[in-house]
Amino acid sequence: MTWRGIDAESVRLVLGALQVVLIIALAPLLTGIMRKVKARTQKRVGASVTQPYYDLSKLLKKDEVISDQASWVFSSAPWVIFAATVTASLFVPAFVPFSPFSVAGDILVVIGLLALARFFTMLAGLDVASAFGGLGSSREMMISSLAEPALFLTIFVVSLTLGGTNLTSLVGAAAQLGTVIAPSMLFGLLAFFVVILAETGRLPFDNPATHLELTMVHEAMLLEYSGRGLAFIEWSQSVKQMIMLSLLVNLFIPVGMPLNSDAGIALPLALGAVAFVAKIMTLSAIVAYVETRVAKWRLFRLPDLLAMAIASAMVGVILHYL
Amino acid sequence: MLGRFSDRVDEIHHLNGNEVHVLLKRKEDIPDLCLYARDELKSKLSTMFCSDDRGPCGAFTLRYVFARAGGQDFFIVLTARIRADQGLPGFPLDRSLSFPSIAFQFPSAALYEREIRDMFGLFPDGSPDKRPLVLHERWPEGIYPLRKEFDVTTKVDRTGGREYKFTKVEGEGVCEIPVGPVHAGIIEPGHFRFSVLGESIINLETRLFYVHRGVEKLGEKMNLDQVLLLSERIAGDEAVANSTAYCQALERAAGVTAPERALQTRVVCAEMERIYNHLGTLAGMSTDVGFAYGSARLNILKERMMQLNEQVTGSRLLFGTNRVGGVGVELDADKVRKVRSTLKRSLHDFELVISMLRNNSSVMDRLLNTGTIARRVAVELGLTGVAARCAGVDEDTRRDHPYAAYSSLRPDKHHDSPMHLTEHEVEMQMRRGDALARFEVRVEEVVDSAAMIDQAIENMPQSGDLVVSDLRERLEPHSHALGYAESHRGQTLHWVTIGDHPDSLSRYKVRTASFVNWPAIEQAVIKDIVPDFPLINKSLDLSYAGNDL
Repeated sequence: MTWRGIDAESVRLVLGALQVVLIIALAPLLTGIMRKVKARTQKRVGASVTQPYYDLSKLLKKDEVISDQASWVFSSAPWVIFAATVTASLFVPAFVPFSPFSVAGDILVVIGLLALARFFTMLAGLDVASAFGGLGSSREMMISSLAEPALFLTIFVVSLTLGGTNLTSLVGAAAQLGTVIAPSMLFGLLAFFVVILAETGRLPFDNPATHLELTMVHEAMLLEYSGRGLAFIEWSQSVKQMIMLSLLVNLFIPVGMPLNSDAGIALPLALGAVAFVAKIMTLSAIVAYVETRVAKWRLFRLPDLLAMAIASAMVGVILHYL
Repeated sequence: MLGRFSDRVDEIHHLNGNEVHVLLKRKEDIPDLCLYARDELKSKLSTMFCSDDRGPCGAFTLRYVFARAGGQDFFIVLTARIRADQGLPGFPLDRSLSFPSIAFQFPSAALYEREIRDMFGLFPDGSPDKRPLVLHERWPEGIYPLRKEFDVTTKVDRTGGREYKFTKVEGEGVCEIPVGPVHAGIIEPGHFRFSVLGESIINLETRLFYVHRGVEKLGEKMNLDQVLLLSERIAGDEAVANSTAYCQALERAAGVTAPERALQTRVVCAEMERIYNHLGTLAGMSTDVGFAYGSARLNILKERMMQLNEQVTGSRLLFGTNRVGGVGVELDADKVRKVRSTLKRSLHDFELVISMLRNNSSVMDRLLNTGTIARRVAVELGLTGVAARCAGVDEDTRRDHPYAAYSSLRPDKHHDSPMHLTEHEVEMQMRRGDALARFEVRVEEVVDSAAMIDQAIENMPQSGDLVVSDLRERLEPHSHALGYAESHRGQTLHWVTIGDHPDSLSRYKVRTASFVNWPAIEQAVIKDIVPDFPLINKSLDLSYAGNDL
């Protein structure tokens, strides 16, 4: 288990740290790819896949305009959101089947950190007392109060099937299962996909491309942000999306993921990383394609969809015990 | 009518083919005569306006235009004079210059009365709404832009401003959401004040006229050809409808008819305008429900139509179609071929896109029962165009008051036989007035328009004049006439009074469909939720510029 004289533990650490950097650095690229797929399926040419990077660098250079009604909540929210999301990415196995801090955190910590980020987004939306921010926050609360039970039920399914809540061991167990998919996991997958659409503000929940303030959910909370603050929030949003998609890919579709025991051996790791990239690109293309095919649902019909996700996850739990 | 009101009516005369002018003796009789026109003569208040005739006859003239439909094509113009003894210079703020309000009996008159108050300083007695309409807070009191003593080049000082009072809804949990006048995206300015309970809208007030340009006043300082250019630019997407209405008003005042070839060309261009705008609105509805694919496909079709516009008339917005007394576009064999082939191809694609939209349950669910306009509301507000037809109010200027070559075209093919007529009436009764109904009406009109273009091309003489030459010589000073056309938004009315010189206007009144239809949105959104507002707004397709003049 050594590799050119370096012991496995160090390799794990280095690879794990590299993984975190890659998640954060490549997250905007994933956003760019999804936008490109969306544009192409809508008969548009679309911006280059690297456009989100240009946007971020532009925003980072710009001045911020902060309303004089804003309190410290508004100005600190981008930092809290970014910090929470980046911290969450420390615990998520993506390219390799382990995360550098698997001892310290499990899937509940990841969910908790993302919830913290969302909580601050909602507070920031309310803080400036603009009409749209309040609307956005109240809608986000409505959606997340329903998306969270669905998410937790899905996690029950995963934990029951694969054992435990530690992400590294969950992903390891999933990789062990390989192509054999437990029926309970199928229902969990269905629920998790809907939850991802809700959590990342995708159609039919929220239209990330709209300019109509009155229909916005996520964007409405951010309307007052500009410059660096906006850059950090958008970047966090990309990272969050990357985390959610990685979780789906690694927990439910473990095909190609190297076993934990292979850690430190170059070839399976490289193959695993390639497989991961291929899977996550396919998944993001599917999400983008779904966005092209459905219209935004009526706001008060969204609970139906989330109820379906909850029911599906519930079926998964029952199937596990059958 | 004379027999019944002989003591109240001065004279009745018949003008310009289908206008019946009734001159009242006293302004106090206005409400009675208006009610008579509506209830007994079964006509609809189309517009009311004022003109400053203190020069020629020492009075302001108020005109109430009632349109009679249902197979009888005529307009009843009730005319009353408001004596004004003041001399011209200065701006006398005289409350005695008033007229009786009819807003309680005719809800649609409220806006006209407020407009007249702002622009002429005539006060509607007993009007329910005394707030200014066109002129905003910082416009000084007592300056009335459409009076003759107000020069068009005057720079008016801003004042400190008065407060404009929005209707306040009070109660536990009721919030106000102010939206606009500056919006995200490239759209025109307008202010919307929502009162909401959670997401449900319990009241909406619109405030417009941020792009008031003084079109009517400008028209008084221009010659007839310049006003034609002005009329095309009232709202760029209604260029053909507005300029057609204007040209027809002049032609009627002169007592001439444009050559047959010009009339058919007007139909072709008007229907091309309707098609590209309906395509744009359908695309916008698709965008607003968050279905970008449908809107991309429809926008491709719209672009194809606009390119066709450019090939035919030299302008993507069909500017330059009309001339006073005819048209400026010659549809030769080459253009006709282009129109036919493009239309055929586009119509085929259009049907594919529409069937895709109809089969997408998430799109249809958003449209169904959203933004419902009750039939009673449509009638009382006197809505026109798609906004009226979607609620089952069957009116269409092209059929009710045929102009250009529409009399030979039968825009309404349903009236061919009693059976079709009954079917059509049943269908009208079933229209719910929601966004889906407006969607379907637009789809149907696109198909109908294409058929009409085909027909008009068929009927078009191969050669002949495009413009009547002797129109200007026949124009009498101080003669007047009404011009009308059906734009894609509904009926647009243009009133012209020729000035002292035959090549000028002393009054140019424009009433677009948007002016009539804007109040509908305040009714349509009630009981809907805030995120549906943009869709409702788009489905009604109202123009800010067309309203604000």
